[in-house]
Amino acid sequence: MSDYQNALTEFIKQEILHGRSVKLDDDQDLLNAGIIDSLGILRLVAFIEERFGVKVPDEDVVFENFQNIKVMARYVEERRRAAEPRVES
Amino acid sequence: MNYLLTQSVDNAADRTPERAAVGYAGASLTWSALARRSNGLARILVAHGVRRGDRVGLFMNKSLDSAVAMHGVMKAGGAYVPLDPFAPAARTALVIRDCGIRHVITTDLKLDQTVLLDEDIAGVTCLIGSSPREGFRCVSWSEVEAAAADAPPDVQLTEQDLAYILYTSGSTGTPKGIMHTHRSGLSFAVWAAETYGLTADDRVSNHAPLHFDLSTFDFFAAAQVGATTVIVPEAIAKLPSDVGRLMERERLTVWYSVPFALIQLLERGNLKSLDLGLLRWILFAGEVFPTKHLRRLLAVLPHVRFSNLFGPTETNVCTYYHVPTDLPTSEEPIPIGKPCGNIESLVVDGNEAPVAQGEPGELLIRGGVVMCGYWGRPDLNEAAFSRRKVFDGRYEDTFYRTGDLVEWLPDGNLKYLGRKDRQIKTRGYRVELDEVEAALLSLPAVEEAAAFAVPDGHGSTLIEAAVTARDGSLLTPESVMGHVATHLPPYAVPVRVRVIEVFPRTSTGKIDRRELAAHAV
Repeated sequence: MSDYQNALTEFIKQEILHGRSVKLDDDQDLLNAGIIDSLGILRLVAFIEERFGVKVPDEDVVFENFQNIKVMARYVEERRRAAEPRVES
Repeated sequence: MNYLLTQSVDNAADRTPERAAVGYAGASLTWSALARRSNGLARILVAHGVRRGDRVGLFMNKSLDSAVAMHGVMKAGGAYVPLDPFAPAARTALVIRDCGIRHVITTDLKLDQTVLLDEDIAGVTCLIGSSPREGFRCVSWSEVEAAAADAPPDVQLTEQDLAYILYTSGSTGTPKGIMHTHRSGLSFAVWAAETYGLTADDRVSNHAPLHFDLSTFDFFAAAQVGATTVIVPEAIAKLPSDVGRLMERERLTVWYSVPFALIQLLERGNLKSLDLGLLRWILFAGEVFPTKHLRRLLAVLPHVRFSNLFGPTETNVCTYYHVPTDLPTSEEPIPIGKPCGNIESLVVDGNEAPVAQGEPGELLIRGGVVMCGYWGRPDLNEAAFSRRKVFDGRYEDTFYRTGDLVEWLPDGNLKYLGRKDRQIKTRGYRVELDEVEAALLSLPAVEEAAAFAVPDGHGSTLIEAAVTARDGSLLTPESVMGHVATHLPPYAVPVRVRVIEVFPRTSTGKIDRRELAAHAV
């Protein structure tokens, strides 16, 4: 499991589920299951921006990027990579 | 003349059998299919013992099947009771027990996070749409589809028969069931279809969950004229960018939601980049729409008309206000508007005498849209209804006491002032703060508890709470939140709980909730 996945899982457990015993696999559908609600999505975006230092444009806050922890982590990784300065070899 | 909500489906199936009744995620159900499938479901329900007035639970994520389920139950003579799929199992169990549900229609009893165990569905004998489960009579969805029929079962109903029960926050900690008949549901649906000039060409959104009264407009007002209801899938309902793209892709003509969803669309939905040329009405209800956000929304969508619908679930909608295009520049909230044509409204003082224009008072409502009462709660019904003389004292009728404080403006509109009780709205959801406190106090380690609403910075409010620990008890915010999350629906769970030593008190010794709210984050 990547660091991103760990951090996202931890945040969702602590700040969104408040210790409710909910199965939280990496591919658990968080949106269909109602685990992330309208407030949760705002907090999650704020968390990603602050914790990982990436900007999350509104048009990226879509199902493909936020359905589960796995795709969220992949999205964060892509944003981080895109933000890194290019090193010419 | 229609007198049942379900007749609109049969009428549309006769007139426009091949047009879409409901759309969901790119798929759709024609009026003919909706009529035939709901007839089939109704026959199965009757065969499995559903009788006139029986309550049938709907435990499902929204889909094309939801529309079949609602109409199927009503055609069987039952009242459908939407069970919030995201509520904790303990709360769902309370609702099932409260109104004695014996039949549940479901897509699966394990909706990801909420798993209903046998003890949660005590009293239920029959599951429709469920995979086989020991101890229950189970009917699969494929059997429901195979039973599709041209005619419903032979069940004689009147307009006074129960159609649906919507459960809402109750101040004692137990949710209360608001009962609507075919008459009250239809009364609203007919008014709404006329007022917003709906036609068979309209494509109406369904954003609200089924246990939320906004959904009755989406399904029943649309059905009056054979318009299409386009369900916003749960998976994207909270994602403004996806919702915006759905509005464009589905060519929606009428949108209806709580203001919070619209504010999110405005702030994060890239509305300007979308072609929403076919959209003609944006309707909102459930909460006050902050004027500054509304003004910006009007500017982004200048071709759209906006209307504020107002009314507690108990009255469907009782007042409405068409937002003028030239909204005043002040931040003054827009009025809730004029009483709908099909109701009588009164604003009364503490002695239930009408007040003069400009005086605050409680809004009382009489008319076809009013609920017939709370399920199994004569005490609440006694308090909720007021018997008054009408027509120059010639006869008596009941008015529903809304608990809303309002005043008449000089132009005949009503202005909303607040609540008489401690009911609040959070992102459109109605929550009794007393219920939140009851949940906090059900934790043995909690000595005293206070819940209060604070602004969320997005035009709505959030719930926070503070508790004190019983002597010698160890209490952490996490343990308190974990506990209440198993009792309350997610939207009613406080976003923050403080464990404090002593409560601030007012001069009369009561917990000073205002002081607590002032120190919220």
